[in-house]
Amino acid sequence: MSLPTLTAKEVQALFTSPIAYAVIAVFIVLSGYTFTVTLFVSKQATLVHIFFQAAIQLILLVPLITMRQFAEERRSGTLELLLTAPVREIEIVGAKFLASMVVVAAMTSLTLIYAVLLAVYGQPDWGPIYSGYLGVLLLGAALVSIGLMISALTANQIVAAVVSLGLFGILWAIDTLAALLPQPFENWLLGLSLLAHFTPFAVGAMYVSDFGFFLSVVLLGLFLTVRALARS
Amino acid sequence: MAVLSLDGLSKRFGARLAVDRVSFEIREREVFGLLGPNGSGKSTILRLVTGYLRPSAGSARVAGIDVVRNGTLARQHIGYVPESAPLYGHMRVAEFLAFMGKMRGLKHESLARAIETAVERLGLGSVRHAIIERLSHGYRQRVSLAQAVLHTPDLLVLDEPSNGLDPRQIIELRNLLRQLAQSCAVLVTSHILAEIERTADRAAILLDGKLLTVEEIGQQPAVLPPPSRLETLFLDLTQAKAMA
Repeated sequence: MSLPTLTAKEVQALFTSPIAYAVIAVFIVLSGYTFTVTLFVSKQATLVHIFFQAAIQLILLVPLITMRQFAEERRSGTLELLLTAPVREIEIVGAKFLASMVVVAAMTSLTLIYAVLLAVYGQPDWGPIYSGYLGVLLLGAALVSIGLMISALTANQIVAAVVSLGLFGILWAIDTLAALLPQPFENWLLGLSLLAHFTPFAVGAMYVSDFGFFLSVVLLGLFLTVRALARS
Repeated sequence: MAVLSLDGLSKRFGARLAVDRVSFEIREREVFGLLGPNGSGKSTILRLVTGYLRPSAGSARVAGIDVVRNGTLARQHIGYVPESAPLYGHMRVAEFLAFMGKMRGLKHESLARAIETAVERLGLGSVRHAIIERLSHGYRQRVSLAQAVLHTPDLLVLDEPSNGLDPRQIIELRNLLRQLAQSCAVLVTSHILAEIERTADRAAILLDGKLLTVEEIGQQPAVLPPPSRLETLFLDLTQAKAMA
C-alpha cells in the first residue's frame, strides 16, 4: 500500500513550490476583504457571501493547484518512474487528489476565523455555516478531480490550467445556456450546473441529490484520470 | 530459469510497428546489451518490459511473471533507469531513496539498510543530504541507479545510461555495471557499440523494431581490464579537476 507514501510526497511537492502559498494567500486576502466589507455594510452574522466568493475563487485557483500534478511529471519524465514502480495507477491518482485537497482544505479552514468572529460578536445560524463549508469542500473536490483529469492528458502545465479554467467556467454557469434550450435538454444541462448544485449548500439547504452530484463528479473525474494514465 | 523472457513481443503506434515480434531471453547475472540506431525500438522494448507500455502482441515475463497480467508483482522484480534519469529535483538524495524504497515495499530497518548499501555502492556518501537538482549529471545518474538497485531486483533495466556522461563517468559506469551484474541480470541499451562490447556478455542488434541477431560477446570479467592509453591520459589530466 503506497498511498500514504505517495500522498506525503505530493503534499511535500505542493508546499515546496510557492504556488500553494500564493494560492492560499490570495484566497484568504480576498475572502477577508469581502468578509470585512459585507459585515460592516450588512451587519448580519452570515457567511453566505463568503461561500459564494469561495466557490468563484476555487474555480480560479484550483487549476493552479492541479495543473502541474501530472503535466509536470509527464514533462520531466518522473511519471515513467512512478508508473514503472510496483504501485497501481489508482494509488498515484488518489495521492495527488488527497494532496490537492490538503491545499483546498487549508485555505478553506483559514476562513473559519470568520465564523469564530461571528460567534464572538453575534449569534449566527450555524446550520448554513456547516452546510456552506461542506459545499465548498465538495465543490473543491469536484474541481480537483476534473483538474487532475485534464492535467493527466497533457505535458504542458499552462494548457492544463487554461483548459481546466475554461471547463470549470462552463460547468459553473451552464444553467444560463440551459435556459436557451428546449426540454429535455434544458433539464440535462441544469443537472450539470455546479452553481445549481452548490447554491443549496451555501444557503443552508442540503439535499442528497446535490451531495450525490458532487460525489459522482469526483468519482468520475478520478476514474477518467486513472484511464488517462493507463498503460496503452 | 531466464530472468527475462520475451516471446514475439510487438508494439504498434498507429500504423507504425515500433517493435516487431522480438524474442530473446536474459539469464541470471548476465549483462545483455540492446544495440541499434536511434528509432530502432530499444527504448520501446524497455518500456514494454517495465510495464510502462502494453504490448500489442506477444508477452514479456520477468522472473517468470507476466508483466501485463501481473504487472505490479512483476515490477517488484525490476529496477529501472529511464533514458533521462528523471528524479524529483526538490528532494534530498536520502529522502528520494527512502521514497523509492517505500514505493517498493521496503520499511523501517530493511529500508535503512537498503539505502546505506546503495549509497555506499554508488559512492553517494558525500551527497546523501544534497538537494538533487543541485547535483552534477554524473551524480544524478548515480542517484538514479541507486533507486533502481535499492530493492535488489532480479533485473536491472538501463536506457542509454552513458548519455551525457564524461569519459571518467563512463569508465566508472562500466565498472559499476559489472559489479551490479554480480547480483542481478542487466538489460542495457546503447547506440555506442564500444560501450556494449566492453560491458555486455551478449548483445542483440535491432533495426526498425526487428531483432536481427543475438551475439555472444564473451564472458566479461567481474573487474574490467585497465583503461586504454588515451583513457588513462584523460583520467590523469582530469584527476586534479575531479578531486577539486
